[in-house]
Amino acid sequence: MSLERRMLIRELKLIIARPGDIIKPMWFLVLVVSMVPLALVPDSDLLSDIGSAMIWVATLLALLLNTEHLFQSDFSDGVLEQWLFLNRPLAWLVGLKLIAHWLFHVLPLILITPIAGIMLSVPMEVLLALLVTLVIATPALTCFSGLGAALTLGSSRSGILGVLVMMPLFVPVVILAAGVLIRAMDGSDTLPLLALLGAFSVVAATLVPIAVSAAIRLNIGGSN
Amino acid sequence: MLEFQFASLAAFCEMAPHGVYVWPTYGLGLLVLGGLTLANVRQHRRAIRMIQRNLERE
Amino acid sequence: MGWRWFHQWGSPRWFYERAGRWQLVCGWLALTLLIMGSLWGLALAPVDYQQGNSYRIIYLHVPVAFLAQALYAAMAVCAVVLFVWKMKLADVAMQSIAVMGLAFTALSLISGAVWGKPTWGTYWVWDARLTSMLILAFLYLGVIGLRAAIQDPDQAGKACGILVLVGVVNLPIIKYSVEWWNTLHQPASLKLTEKPAMPASMWIPLLVNIVGYYIAAVYLILGSMRAIVLERERRSAWVRELVSRA
Repeated sequence: MSLERRMLIRELKLIIARPGDIIKPMWFLVLVVSMVPLALVPDSDLLSDIGSAMIWVATLLALLLNTEHLFQSDFSDGVLEQWLFLNRPLAWLVGLKLIAHWLFHVLPLILITPIAGIMLSVPMEVLLALLVTLVIATPALTCFSGLGAALTLGSSRSGILGVLVMMPLFVPVVILAAGVLIRAMDGSDTLPLLALLGAFSVVAATLVPIAVSAAIRLNIGGSN
Repeated sequence: MLEFQFASLAAFCEMAPHGVYVWPTYGLGLLVLGGLTLANVRQHRRAIRMIQRNLERE
Repeated sequence: MGWRWFHQWGSPRWFYERAGRWQLVCGWLALTLLIMGSLWGLALAPVDYQQGNSYRIIYLHVPVAFLAQALYAAMAVCAVVLFVWKMKLADVAMQSIAVMGLAFTALSLISGAVWGKPTWGTYWVWDARLTSMLILAFLYLGVIGLRAAIQDPDQAGKACGILVLVGVVNLPIIKYSVEWWNTLHQPASLKLTEKPAMPASMWIPLLVNIVGYYIAAVYLILGSMRAIVLERERRSAWVRELVSRA
Protein backbone atom coordinates (compact mmCIF):
# COMPACT_ATOMS: atom_id res chain seq x y z
CA MET A 1 0.00 0.00 0.00
CA SER A 2 1.48 3.30 -1.01
CA LEU A 3 2.21 6.10 1.44
CA GLU A 4 -0.34 8.34 -0.25
CA ARG A 5 -3.10 5.81 0.14
CA ARG A 6 -2.21 5.17 3.76
CA MET A 7 -2.37 8.89 4.47
CA LEU A 8 -5.82 9.24 2.98
CA ILE A 9 -7.07 6.20 4.89
CA ARG A 10 -5.67 7.64 8.11
CA GLU A 11 -7.56 10.88 7.53
CA LEU A 12 -10.73 8.92 6.88
CA LYS A 13 -10.29 6.93 10.07
CA LEU A 14 -9.78 10.13 12.04
CA ILE A 15 -13.08 11.46 10.70
CA ILE A 16 -14.92 8.26 11.62
CA ALA A 17 -13.43 8.40 15.10
CA ARG A 18 -14.50 12.00 15.58
CA PRO A 19 -17.59 12.71 13.49
CA GLY A 20 -18.18 15.91 15.47
CA ASP A 21 -15.48 17.61 13.41
CA ILE A 22 -17.60 17.53 10.29
CA ILE A 23 -21.00 17.81 11.94
CA LYS A 24 -20.24 21.04 13.81
CA PRO A 25 -19.51 23.20 10.73
CA MET A 26 -22.64 21.82 9.01
CA TRP A 27 -24.67 22.59 12.10
CA PHE A 28 -23.18 26.10 12.12
CA LEU A 29 -24.04 26.63 8.44
CA VAL A 30 -27.69 25.65 8.83
CA LEU A 31 -27.98 27.66 12.02
CA VAL A 32 -26.56 30.82 10.46
CA VAL A 33 -28.78 30.44 7.41
CA SER A 34 -31.88 30.02 9.58
CA MET A 35 -30.99 33.27 11.35
CA VAL A 36 -31.23 35.21 8.08
CA PRO A 37 -35.04 35.26 7.75
CA LEU A 38 -35.33 35.92 11.47
CA ALA A 39 -32.99 38.92 11.30
CA LEU A 40 -34.50 40.16 8.03
CA VAL A 41 -38.10 39.57 7.00
CA PRO A 42 -39.48 36.18 5.98
CA ASP A 43 -40.27 37.56 2.51
CA SER A 44 -39.48 34.81 0.02
CA ASP A 45 -38.82 37.21 -2.90
CA LEU A 46 -36.20 39.11 -0.95
CA LEU A 47 -34.73 35.90 0.47
CA SER A 48 -34.36 34.32 -2.95
CA ASP A 49 -32.53 37.44 -4.13
CA ILE A 50 -29.96 37.51 -1.35
CA GLY A 51 -30.14 33.83 -0.40
CA SER A 52 -27.27 32.57 -2.53
CA ALA A 53 -24.97 35.33 -1.29
CA MET A 54 -25.94 34.55 2.30
CA ILE A 55 -25.21 30.87 1.80
CA TRP A 56 -21.84 31.73 0.26
CA VAL A 57 -20.87 33.87 3.23
CA ALA A 58 -22.16 31.28 5.72
CA THR A 59 -20.23 28.51 3.94
CA LEU A 60 -17.11 30.66 4.00
CA LEU A 61 -17.45 31.10 7.76
CA ALA A 62 -18.16 27.42 8.33
CA LEU A 63 -15.14 26.56 6.20
CA LEU A 64 -12.93 28.81 8.29
CA LEU A 65 -14.30 27.16 11.40
CA ASN A 66 -13.04 23.77 10.28
CA THR A 67 -9.74 24.80 8.70
CA GLU A 68 -8.61 26.86 11.67
CA HIS A 69 -6.91 23.86 13.28
CA LEU A 70 -6.03 21.99 10.11
CA PHE A 71 -2.46 21.16 11.13
CA GLN A 72 -2.80 21.58 14.89
CA SER A 73 -3.31 17.96 15.98
CA ASP A 74 -0.71 16.66 13.50
CA PHE A 75 1.69 19.29 14.84
CA SER A 76 1.17 18.51 18.52
CA ASP A 77 1.40 14.73 18.18
CA GLY A 78 4.53 14.92 16.03
CA VAL A 79 3.15 13.71 12.70
CA LEU A 80 4.40 16.84 10.92
CA GLU A 81 7.91 16.16 12.15
CA GLN A 82 7.70 12.66 10.72
CA TRP A 83 6.78 14.17 7.36
CA LEU A 84 10.21 15.79 7.17
CA PHE A 85 11.85 12.36 7.22
CA LEU A 86 9.72 10.76 4.52
CA ASN A 87 11.22 10.41 1.08
CA ARG A 88 8.59 12.73 -0.37
CA PRO A 89 8.72 16.50 -0.88
CA LEU A 90 7.00 18.25 2.02
CA ALA A 91 4.85 20.31 -0.36
CA TRP A 92 3.47 17.09 -1.85
CA LEU A 93 2.48 15.75 1.58
CA VAL A 94 0.92 19.10 2.44
CA GLY A 95 -1.00 18.95 -0.83
CA LEU A 96 -2.27 15.48 0.06
CA LYS A 97 -3.34 16.66 3.48
CA LEU A 98 -5.20 19.57 1.88
CA ILE A 99 -6.88 17.25 -0.62
CA ALA A 100 -7.94 14.93 2.21
CA HIS A 101 -9.25 17.89 4.14
CA TRP A 102 -11.22 19.09 1.16
CA LEU A 103 -12.66 15.63 0.49
CA PHE A 104 -13.65 14.76 4.05
CA HIS A 105 -14.37 18.14 5.62
CA VAL A 106 -15.29 20.63 2.90
CA LEU A 107 -17.23 18.46 0.50
CA PRO A 108 -19.77 17.32 3.15
CA LEU A 109 -20.32 20.98 3.96
CA ILE A 110 -21.04 21.75 0.31
CA LEU A 111 -23.41 18.82 0.06
CA ILE A 112 -25.76 20.28 2.64
CA THR A 113 -25.93 23.73 1.05
CA PRO A 114 -28.97 22.68 -1.05
CA ILE A 115 -30.91 22.32 2.21
CA ALA A 116 -29.87 25.84 3.15
CA GLY A 117 -30.86 26.95 -0.36
CA ILE A 118 -34.34 25.51 0.01
CA MET A 119 -34.70 27.22 3.38
CA LEU A 120 -33.95 30.58 1.74
CA SER A 121 -36.11 29.77 -1.32
CA VAL A 122 -33.21 30.08 -3.75
CA PRO A 123 -34.41 29.16 -7.27
CA MET A 124 -33.28 25.79 -8.63
CA GLU A 125 -30.95 27.00 -11.41
CA VAL A 126 -29.23 29.45 -9.05
CA LEU A 127 -28.85 26.67 -6.49
CA LEU A 128 -27.14 24.55 -9.11
CA ALA A 129 -24.78 27.43 -9.97
CA LEU A 130 -24.13 27.92 -6.25
CA LEU A 131 -23.13 24.29 -5.87
CA VAL A 132 -20.83 24.46 -8.89
CA THR A 133 -19.14 27.67 -7.66
CA LEU A 134 -18.61 26.17 -4.23
CA VAL A 135 -17.10 22.98 -5.61
CA ILE A 136 -14.78 24.92 -7.92
CA ALA A 137 -13.83 27.69 -5.48
CA THR A 138 -13.35 25.79 -2.22
CA PRO A 139 -10.01 24.16 -3.18
CA ALA A 140 -8.47 27.64 -3.37
CA LEU A 141 -10.09 28.68 -0.12
CA THR A 142 -8.94 25.47 1.59
CA CYS A 143 -5.37 26.10 0.46
CA PHE A 144 -5.33 29.69 1.71
CA SER A 145 -6.88 28.88 5.06
CA GLY A 146 -4.43 25.99 5.36
CA LEU A 147 -1.64 28.54 4.93
CA GLY A 148 -3.17 30.68 7.67
CA ALA A 149 -3.34 27.65 9.94
CA ALA A 150 0.28 26.71 9.18
CA LEU A 151 1.60 30.23 9.76
CA THR A 152 0.04 30.46 13.21
CA LEU A 153 1.00 26.92 14.26
CA GLY A 154 3.78 28.00 16.57
CA SER A 155 1.85 30.56 18.59
CA SER A 156 -0.32 29.20 21.36
CA ARG A 157 -2.68 32.14 21.62
CA SER A 158 -3.23 32.90 17.96
CA GLY A 159 -6.97 32.08 18.07
CA ILE A 160 -8.65 33.02 14.82
CA LEU A 161 -5.61 35.00 13.66
CA GLY A 162 -4.84 32.53 10.86
CA VAL A 163 -8.31 33.16 9.48
CA LEU A 164 -8.11 36.94 9.79
CA VAL A 165 -4.76 36.98 8.04
CA MET A 166 -6.02 35.00 5.06
CA MET A 167 -9.49 36.52 4.64
CA PRO A 168 -8.37 39.40 2.37
CA LEU A 169 -7.00 36.86 -0.11
CA PHE A 170 -10.49 35.40 -0.54
CA VAL A 171 -11.67 38.57 -2.25
CA PRO A 172 -11.14 37.51 -5.90
CA VAL A 173 -12.84 34.16 -5.26
CA VAL A 174 -15.86 35.74 -3.64
CA ILE A 175 -16.16 38.33 -6.40
CA LEU A 176 -15.96 35.76 -9.19
CA ALA A 177 -18.43 33.44 -7.46
CA ALA A 178 -20.85 36.32 -6.94
CA GLY A 179 -20.48 37.15 -10.62
CA VAL A 180 -21.44 33.60 -11.55
CA LEU A 181 -24.49 33.71 -9.27
CA ILE A 182 -25.66 37.03 -10.68
CA ARG A 183 -25.35 35.70 -14.22
CA ALA A 184 -27.17 32.53 -13.22
CA MET A 185 -29.98 34.64 -11.81
CA ASP A 186 -30.57 36.53 -15.05
CA GLY A 187 -29.88 33.45 -17.14
CA SER A 188 -26.73 34.59 -18.99
CA ASP A 189 -23.59 32.61 -19.74
CA THR A 190 -21.67 31.62 -16.61
CA LEU A 191 -19.00 29.49 -18.23
CA PRO A 192 -16.24 32.15 -18.69
CA LEU A 193 -16.38 33.14 -15.04
CA LEU A 194 -16.44 29.53 -13.90
CA ALA A 195 -13.34 28.93 -16.01
CA LEU A 196 -11.58 31.87 -14.32
CA LEU A 197 -12.62 30.59 -10.92
CA GLY A 198 -11.32 27.14 -11.81
CA ALA A 199 -8.03 28.62 -13.02
CA PHE A 200 -7.63 30.46 -9.74
CA SER A 201 -8.23 27.25 -7.82
CA VAL A 202 -5.78 25.26 -9.92
CA VAL A 203 -3.03 27.86 -9.54
CA ALA A 204 -3.68 28.17 -5.80
CA ALA A 205 -3.65 24.39 -5.36
CA THR A 206 -0.30 24.14 -7.15
CA LEU A 207 1.52 27.05 -5.52
CA VAL A 208 0.08 27.47 -2.02
CA PRO A 209 1.25 24.03 -0.73
CA ILE A 210 4.83 25.23 -1.34
CA ALA A 211 4.21 28.23 0.92
CA VAL A 212 2.45 26.00 3.46
CA SER A 213 5.39 23.62 3.56
CA ALA A 214 7.77 26.57 4.13
CA ALA A 215 5.56 27.71 7.01
CA ILE A 216 5.51 24.20 8.53
CA ARG A 217 9.27 23.82 8.21
CA LEU A 218 9.65 27.16 9.95
CA ASN A 219 7.53 26.06 12.90
CA ILE A 220 9.26 22.73 13.30
CA GLY A 221 12.73 24.16 12.79
CA GLY A 222 11.99 27.08 15.10
CA SER A 223 10.91 24.98 18.05
CA ASN A 224 14.23 23.28 18.60
CA MET B 1 0.92 82.31 -11.38
CA LEU B 2 1.62 82.15 -7.67
CA GLU B 3 -0.96 84.33 -6.04
CA PHE B 4 -2.99 83.93 -2.88
CA GLN B 5 -6.31 82.45 -3.94
CA PHE B 6 -8.41 83.87 -1.14
CA ALA B 7 -9.73 87.36 -0.48
CA SER B 8 -8.47 87.45 3.09
CA LEU B 9 -6.83 85.28 5.74
CA ALA B 10 -10.26 84.72 7.27
CA ALA B 11 -11.56 83.45 3.92
CA PHE B 12 -8.55 81.14 3.73
CA CYS B 13 -9.38 79.70 7.15
CA GLU B 14 -13.03 79.31 6.22
CA MET B 15 -12.21 77.88 2.78
CA ALA B 16 -15.88 78.12 1.86
CA PRO B 17 -17.71 75.88 1.64
CA HIS B 18 -15.35 72.99 2.32
CA GLY B 19 -13.22 74.19 5.24
CA VAL B 20 -14.84 71.67 7.58
CA TYR B 21 -13.54 68.89 5.34
CA VAL B 22 -10.13 70.20 4.31
CA TRP B 23 -8.73 71.47 7.61
CA PRO B 24 -9.50 68.40 9.78
CA THR B 25 -7.95 66.17 7.09
CA TYR B 26 -4.69 68.13 7.18
CA GLY B 27 -4.90 68.18 10.96
CA LEU B 28 -5.18 64.40 11.01
CA GLY B 29 -2.27 64.10 8.58
CA LEU B 30 -0.13 66.23 10.86
CA LEU B 31 -1.24 64.15 13.84
CA VAL B 32 -0.29 60.88 12.13
CA LEU B 33 3.14 62.09 10.97
CA GLY B 34 3.85 63.75 14.32
CA GLY B 35 2.56 60.77 16.27
CA LEU B 36 4.72 58.31 14.35
CA THR B 37 7.80 60.51 14.82
CA LEU B 38 7.11 60.76 18.53
CA ALA B 39 6.49 57.02 18.81
CA ASN B 40 9.85 56.35 17.16
CA VAL B 41 11.70 58.68 19.51
CA ARG B 42 10.03 57.09 22.53
CA GLN B 43 10.74 53.57 21.33
CA HIS B 44 14.39 54.48 20.78
CA ARG B 45 14.65 55.99 24.25
CA ARG B 46 12.93 53.00 25.82
CA ALA B 47 15.39 50.63 24.13
CA ILE B 48 18.37 52.62 25.42
CA ARG B 49 16.96 52.73 28.95
CA MET B 50 16.30 48.99 28.87
CA ILE B 51 19.89 48.26 27.80
CA GLN B 52 21.22 50.65 30.45
CA ARG B 53 19.25 48.88 33.15
CA ASN B 54 20.57 45.53 31.97
CA LEU B 55 24.13 46.87 32.09
CA GLU B 56 23.69 48.21 35.62
CA ARG B 57 22.31 44.92 36.80
CA GLU B 58 25.39 43.04 35.70
CA MET C 1 34.34 45.29 -4.36
CA GLY C 2 31.28 45.51 -6.56
CA TRP C 3 28.88 44.08 -3.99
CA ARG C 4 30.18 45.92 -0.97
CA TRP C 5 27.41 48.51 -1.10
CA PHE C 6 24.92 45.65 -0.68
CA HIS C 7 26.70 43.47 1.86
CA GLN C 8 27.32 46.23 4.34
CA TRP C 9 23.57 46.23 4.95
CA GLY C 10 24.18 42.91 6.71
CA SER C 11 25.85 44.78 9.56
CA PRO C 12 23.34 46.23 12.02
CA ARG C 13 26.02 48.46 13.48
CA TRP C 14 26.90 50.01 10.14
CA PHE C 15 23.20 50.64 9.52
CA TYR C 16 22.53 52.10 12.95
CA GLU C 17 25.35 54.62 12.62
CA ARG C 18 24.63 55.64 9.04
CA ALA C 19 20.85 55.71 9.45
CA GLY C 20 21.12 58.31 12.18
CA ARG C 21 22.73 60.70 9.69
CA TRP C 22 20.37 59.85 6.83
CA GLN C 23 17.45 60.34 9.14
CA LEU C 24 18.50 63.87 9.93
CA VAL C 25 18.77 64.77 6.24
CA CYS C 26 15.48 63.08 5.35
CA GLY C 27 13.63 64.62 8.27
CA TRP C 28 14.50 68.23 7.44
CA LEU C 29 14.09 67.70 3.71
CA ALA C 30 10.65 66.14 4.21
CA LEU C 31 9.56 68.88 6.59
CA THR C 32 10.58 71.59 4.11
CA LEU C 33 8.94 69.90 1.14
CA LEU C 34 5.74 69.12 3.01
CA ILE C 35 5.30 72.62 4.38
CA MET C 36 6.03 74.05 0.93
CA GLY C 37 3.78 71.64 -0.97
CA SER C 38 0.91 71.79 1.50
CA LEU C 39 0.83 75.58 1.76
CA TRP C 40 1.13 75.86 -2.01
CA GLY C 41 -1.71 73.41 -2.48
CA LEU C 42 -3.89 74.97 0.18
CA ALA C 43 -3.36 78.64 -0.56
CA LEU C 44 -1.75 79.23 -3.95
CA ALA C 45 -3.13 76.53 -6.25
CA PRO C 46 -6.23 77.65 -8.14
CA VAL C 47 -9.69 76.47 -7.08
CA ASP C 48 -11.11 73.50 -8.98
CA TYR C 49 -14.09 74.72 -10.97
CA GLN C 50 -16.03 71.49 -10.42
CA GLN C 51 -15.23 70.49 -6.86
CA GLY C 52 -14.43 73.83 -5.27
CA ASN C 53 -12.02 73.92 -2.37
CA SER C 54 -12.65 70.33 -1.27
CA TYR C 55 -10.25 69.16 -3.98
CA ARG C 56 -7.36 70.54 -1.89
CA ILE C 57 -7.57 67.31 0.13
CA ILE C 58 -5.82 65.53 -2.77
CA TYR C 59 -2.55 67.22 -1.80
CA LEU C 60 -2.63 64.91 1.21
CA HIS C 61 -4.72 62.04 -0.09
CA VAL C 62 -2.92 61.22 -3.35
CA PRO C 63 0.65 61.08 -1.95
CA VAL C 64 -0.49 59.03 1.02
CA ALA C 65 -2.43 56.61 -1.19
CA PHE C 66 0.61 56.16 -3.49
CA LEU C 67 2.78 55.55 -0.49
CA ALA C 68 0.38 53.02 1.04
CA GLN C 69 0.66 50.86 -2.08
CA ALA C 70 4.38 51.39 -2.64
CA LEU C 71 5.16 50.36 0.93
CA TYR C 72 3.57 46.95 0.42
CA ALA C 73 5.83 46.41 -2.58
CA ALA C 74 8.80 47.58 -0.51
CA MET C 75 7.83 45.06 2.17
CA ALA C 76 7.78 42.31 -0.45
CA VAL C 77 11.29 43.30 -1.64
CA CYS C 78 12.44 43.05 1.99
CA ALA C 79 10.85 39.60 2.25
CA VAL C 80 12.79 38.45 -0.82
CA VAL C 81 16.03 39.85 0.61
CA LEU C 82 15.28 38.10 3.91
CA PHE C 83 14.80 34.73 2.26
CA VAL C 84 17.56 34.94 -0.34
CA TRP C 85 20.34 36.64 1.63
CA LYS C 86 19.05 35.92 5.19
CA MET C 87 19.66 39.57 6.00
CA LYS C 88 18.34 40.39 9.46
CA LEU C 89 17.96 44.03 8.61
CA ALA C 90 15.38 43.16 5.95
CA ASP C 91 13.19 41.68 8.65
CA VAL C 92 13.58 44.82 10.76
CA ALA C 93 12.59 46.87 7.71
CA MET C 94 9.55 44.65 7.16
CA GLN C 95 8.44 45.19 10.73
CA SER C 96 8.77 48.98 10.46
CA ILE C 97 7.19 49.22 7.03
CA ALA C 98 4.13 47.21 8.08
CA VAL C 99 3.29 49.71 10.81
CA MET C 100 3.94 52.76 8.60
CA GLY C 101 2.00 51.12 5.77
CA LEU C 102 -1.03 50.59 7.95
CA ALA C 103 -0.85 54.17 9.21
CA PHE C 104 -0.66 55.58 5.66
CA THR C 105 -3.39 53.26 4.38
CA ALA C 106 -5.67 54.35 7.22
CA LEU C 107 -4.85 57.99 6.52
CA SER C 108 -5.60 57.60 2.83
CA LEU C 109 -8.90 55.83 3.58
CA ILE C 110 -10.00 58.53 6.01
CA SER C 111 -8.90 61.43 3.80
CA GLY C 112 -10.63 59.74 0.85
CA ALA C 113 -13.83 59.38 2.86
CA VAL C 114 -13.74 63.01 3.96
CA TRP C 115 -13.16 64.12 0.37
CA GLY C 116 -16.04 61.86 -0.71
CA LYS C 117 -18.56 63.63 1.53
CA PRO C 118 -18.69 66.95 -0.37
CA THR C 119 -17.90 65.31 -3.72
CA TRP C 120 -20.13 62.24 -3.74
CA GLY C 121 -22.44 63.28 -0.90
CA THR C 122 -21.45 60.30 1.21
CA TYR C 123 -18.42 59.26 3.23
CA TRP C 124 -18.19 55.76 1.85
CA VAL C 125 -19.05 54.24 -1.50
CA TRP C 126 -18.02 50.79 -2.63
CA ASP C 127 -15.79 52.29 -5.27
CA ALA C 128 -13.02 50.10 -6.70
CA ARG C 129 -10.17 52.18 -5.32
CA LEU C 130 -11.70 52.54 -1.87
CA THR C 131 -12.43 48.84 -1.67
CA SER C 132 -8.95 47.73 -2.68
CA MET C 133 -7.48 50.24 -0.22
CA LEU C 134 -9.61 48.69 2.52
CA ILE C 135 -8.34 45.23 1.63
CA LEU C 136 -4.77 46.56 1.65
CA ALA C 137 -5.38 47.80 5.19
CA PHE C 138 -6.48 44.31 6.20
CA LEU C 139 -3.35 42.83 4.60
CA TYR C 140 -1.13 45.20 6.62
CA LEU C 141 -3.11 44.39 9.77
CA GLY C 142 -2.56 40.69 9.12
CA VAL C 143 1.22 41.14 8.86
CA ILE C 144 1.32 43.15 12.09
CA GLY C 145 -0.97 40.69 13.90
CA LEU C 146 1.02 37.67 12.79
CA ARG C 147 4.25 39.17 14.07
CA ALA C 148 2.64 40.08 17.37
CA ALA C 149 1.37 36.51 17.83
CA ILE C 150 4.71 34.74 17.42
CA GLN C 151 7.21 35.19 20.22
CA ASP C 152 10.50 34.27 18.58
CA PRO C 153 11.48 37.28 16.41
CA ASP C 154 13.33 35.21 13.78
CA GLN C 155 10.40 32.86 13.34
CA ALA C 156 7.92 35.75 13.34
CA GLY C 157 9.96 37.50 10.66
CA LYS C 158 10.00 34.47 8.38
CA ALA C 159 6.29 33.81 8.88
CA CYS C 160 5.55 37.44 7.99
CA GLY C 161 7.83 37.10 4.96
CA ILE C 162 5.80 34.16 3.65
CA LEU C 163 2.57 36.06 4.25
CA VAL C 164 3.87 39.18 2.50
CA LEU C 165 5.07 37.22 -0.54
CA VAL C 166 1.74 35.39 -0.88
CA GLY C 167 0.00 38.74 -0.43
CA VAL C 168 2.04 40.52 -3.08
CA VAL C 169 1.28 37.79 -5.64
CA ASN C 170 -2.41 38.12 -4.87
CA LEU C 171 -2.52 41.89 -4.72
CA PRO C 172 -2.82 42.50 -8.50
CA ILE C 173 -5.46 39.77 -8.74
CA ILE C 174 -7.41 41.40 -5.93
CA LYS C 175 -7.07 44.80 -7.55
CA TYR C 176 -8.27 43.65 -10.96
CA SER C 177 -11.11 41.59 -9.53
CA VAL C 178 -12.31 44.50 -7.45
CA GLU C 179 -12.20 46.77 -10.50
CA TRP C 180 -14.16 44.24 -12.52
CA TRP C 181 -16.71 43.83 -9.71
CA ASN C 182 -17.03 47.59 -9.57
CA THR C 183 -17.88 48.02 -13.23
CA LEU C 184 -20.42 45.23 -12.79
CA HIS C 185 -22.35 46.77 -9.92
CA GLN C 186 -21.58 50.44 -9.64
CA PRO C 187 -24.09 52.86 -11.14
CA ALA C 188 -22.08 55.17 -13.37
CA SER C 189 -23.41 58.33 -11.71
CA LEU C 190 -21.18 57.87 -8.69
CA LYS C 191 -18.03 57.70 -10.74
CA LEU C 192 -16.09 60.85 -11.02
CA THR C 193 -15.69 61.60 -14.70
CA GLU C 194 -12.11 61.50 -15.89
CA LYS C 195 -11.04 65.07 -16.12
CA PRO C 196 -8.65 66.60 -18.61
CA ALA C 197 -5.05 66.92 -17.46
CA MET C 198 -4.45 69.15 -14.46
CA PRO C 199 -2.86 72.54 -15.11
CA ALA C 200 0.72 72.88 -13.91
CA SER C 201 -0.33 75.24 -11.13
CA MET C 202 -2.25 72.32 -9.65
CA TRP C 203 0.11 69.41 -10.23
CA ILE C 204 3.42 70.99 -9.27
CA PRO C 205 2.45 71.34 -5.58
CA LEU C 206 1.09 67.79 -5.77
CA LEU C 207 4.45 66.57 -7.06
CA VAL C 208 6.24 68.45 -4.28
CA ASN C 209 4.03 66.78 -1.70
CA ILE C 210 4.42 63.32 -3.25
CA VAL C 211 8.21 63.62 -3.00
CA GLY C 212 7.83 65.09 0.48
CA TYR C 213 5.69 62.24 1.77
CA TYR C 214 8.00 59.62 0.29
CA ILE C 215 10.99 61.17 2.04
CA ALA C 216 8.94 61.49 5.24
CA ALA C 217 8.19 57.78 5.01
CA VAL C 218 11.90 57.02 4.62
CA TYR C 219 12.56 59.19 7.67
CA LEU C 220 9.92 57.41 9.75
CA ILE C 221 11.00 53.93 8.65
CA LEU C 222 14.67 54.66 9.39
CA GLY C 223 13.73 55.95 12.83
CA SER C 224 11.66 52.94 13.71
CA MET C 225 14.30 50.58 12.27
CA ARG C 226 17.02 52.13 14.44
CA ALA C 227 14.97 51.57 17.57
CA ILE C 228 14.23 47.95 16.63
CA VAL C 229 17.89 47.27 15.73
CA LEU C 230 18.97 48.57 19.12
CA GLU C 231 16.39 46.42 20.86
CA ARG C 232 17.26 43.25 18.97
CA GLU C 233 21.03 43.74 19.23
CA ARG C 234 20.88 44.56 22.93
CA ARG C 235 23.29 41.72 23.79
CA SER C 236 25.95 42.65 21.24
CA ALA C 237 29.14 44.41 22.26
CA TRP C 238 28.73 47.50 20.09
CA VAL C 239 25.31 48.30 21.55
CA ARG C 240 26.58 47.94 25.10
CA GLU C 241 29.52 50.18 24.33
CA LEU C 242 27.26 52.73 22.67
CA VAL C 243 24.85 52.85 25.57
CA SER C 244 27.50 53.03 28.28
CA ARG C 245 29.19 55.89 26.42
CA ALA C 246 25.94 57.84 26.28
